[in-house]
Amino acid sequence: MTAIQINGVVKIYRGNVHALQGVSLEVMDGEIFGLLGPNGAGKSTLVKILMTVIHATKVSGAMLGKPIGDRLTLQDVGYLPEHHLFPYYLTGKQVLHHYGALAKVTRNDRKTRASKLLHRLGLSGWENKKVGTYSKGMLQRLGIAQSLMNDPKLLILDEPTDGVDPVGRREIRDLLAELREEGRAIFLNSHLLSELEMVCDRVAIMVKGLVRMQGTIDSLTKDSKRYEITISGAIPDWATACCDEIQNNTMIIRGDDPLVIQPMLDRLRVDNTTIISVKPVRENLEDLFMRAVDNKDTPGAAQ
Amino acid sequence: MQLRALLLDAYRQLSAAKLFWVTFGISILVVVAYGSVGFNGQGISVLFGLWEIESEELREGSPWARGLYIGIFSSFLINIWLAWIATALALISTCSIFPEFVHSGSIELTIAKPIGRLKLFFAKYLVSLLFVVLQVAVFCIGVFICVGLRIGEWNPLIFSAIPIVATFFSYLFCICVLVGILTRSGITALLITGVFWMMLWSIQTSEAVLHRFVIEQEVDIERTNEGIEKSEIELVKMQAVSTEDFRIPKLEKRIETYKEDLIESQEFLDKLTQWHTPTSWVLAISPKNSQTIGLLDRWLSDPDGFDIGAIMNGDMRAFEGEEVEEFDRTTRGARERETMRRMRKEYESHSLWYVVGTSLLFEGFILGIASIYFCRKDF
Repeated sequence: MTAIQINGVVKIYRGNVHALQGVSLEVMDGEIFGLLGPNGAGKSTLVKILMTVIHATKVSGAMLGKPIGDRLTLQDVGYLPEHHLFPYYLTGKQVLHHYGALAKVTRNDRKTRASKLLHRLGLSGWENKKVGTYSKGMLQRLGIAQSLMNDPKLLILDEPTDGVDPVGRREIRDLLAELREEGRAIFLNSHLLSELEMVCDRVAIMVKGLVRMQGTIDSLTKDSKRYEITISGAIPDWATACCDEIQNNTMIIRGDDPLVIQPMLDRLRVDNTTIISVKPVRENLEDLFMRAVDNKDTPGAAQ
Repeated sequence: MQLRALLLDAYRQLSAAKLFWVTFGISILVVVAYGSVGFNGQGISVLFGLWEIESEELREGSPWARGLYIGIFSSFLINIWLAWIATALALISTCSIFPEFVHSGSIELTIAKPIGRLKLFFAKYLVSLLFVVLQVAVFCIGVFICVGLRIGEWNPLIFSAIPIVATFFSYLFCICVLVGILTRSGITALLITGVFWMMLWSIQTSEAVLHRFVIEQEVDIERTNEGIEKSEIELVKMQAVSTEDFRIPKLEKRIETYKEDLIESQEFLDKLTQWHTPTSWVLAISPKNSQTIGLLDRWLSDPDGFDIGAIMNGDMRAFEGEEVEEFDRTTRGARERETMRRMRKEYESHSLWYVVGTSLLFEGFILGIASIYFCRKDF
């Protein structure tokens, strides 16, 4: 089932700033979907439109089967905004109870979930301390706990690992994986590509208010798969014709079929050429991102 | 459930502010000071009997004692402490509620919950009035006990100060909310609310002063008309007796002077009315702070006139067996008293709808603008 399905979302801010120029994407149940893009690409604007924080100029689609903007749907959606700010005068536990109550979670459920989530996010012992005393990482964990108070079917997290140390990040990744196993859809908005690569099933890359690429990391990097054969000495003349590209003493053969390079390897051995390495190479998310955001695309929304 | 969460949050926010407890402490001190005033067989005792003033009128069981004690509450504790000092402190404490509420990073967390923006806005607005409601409620309980113990009157009308002061405060707070939402700055909201408050005060004072002049002039014209009427009757009588009476020219001159005075007074009244009418229209559409607070005085004052207003005006002699003229237009003091009586009567004739209803309409208009902005705003 589709958790989020949007078509042609447009947002034009005052001053004719086109933040979103017709964004379409789909997030399925039980998957972690990553939205990435440079600063000012419109990622947060899109998330805020989904959460009714910003009004879209044009939007069509559904979230959890209901039209975008339907307030009652938000009862089943957990949300962690970027740079969130909790009331300084509340304790961690009070924060969870407050936002839980606003999300219409019953008192008994709030009690049970608050203590479970505080424990699960490593905040046990801090529940009765004012959030003003929390570190950045602890506030981020509390934010995630807050987003889970209503036991959401869909979780939308904007930069969830911002300010969290490596151990904390790993814990959050594990938590997200667990939540996916429970069948929840998770929509991640982040610029930490390595983080996304580790957890996301599918990604979309947004540039200047448009989705440039969308799909599984595997499908998006399929065309970039290649073999790199490095030898000692100069590349033989016969090999030049068989390669797609040559870089110094490395031959590059595009494709992901290992059978293609076997005859070349055989001939190199026959020629007594020393093979230093044979590497199957694939683009990582960063390469993919850099390819999507080419040099012409400077950060910022379209004018 | 959501409203309860917002209410609890408002209470926690206020109780986290030191100023809340400072105001609370001062309120209690004011109540204790009020309770220290008592009456005995000889007169008044102040500071729990530390200082005693002998008085024939203001002694235990006298209607003047009741008038004074209730009057101190409605005219001083409400009009000065609650309507000015406590309100200013409340504004300082609450001016940042809405700017903090709509602060980036905070508002997203709340708006993204299954609660309509309009409902959220008004719920937040109402719970923000909690500061005043709590302060005045505790204050009124204290005063209720003091009045009960000191003059034996367990008057539940004292608690009407809670909605009245809260309503009074809300006239100002709506401006604070509008500016707070537009600018996201508590200080700016406080400053502009302060300016608005002063503006209201100026409008009300101008109207009251002009109104007083108008009534004074009307009384003067009535007096002159009566003078002319009396003199003309006298003249007719004199002329009937003898047309040669030496007093006739004098009387005719007096009538002439009266008529000239009358024309002058009428012209002055017209000028005053020209100023007073637009001022009263401006007042009619703006919040009526003083008149709202004045409702308490109207409700709590003794119908027989044993109130602090009369004590302050020195009208106690009416109850000391002295004859007070019904309306002696020939003395300045009587004219002033008549002016004050008419003014008071006119203000008291203002309906609750005029005083509170039109003020709430203004408040509704301001909140309407603020809520539309809040509902349409991209945060």
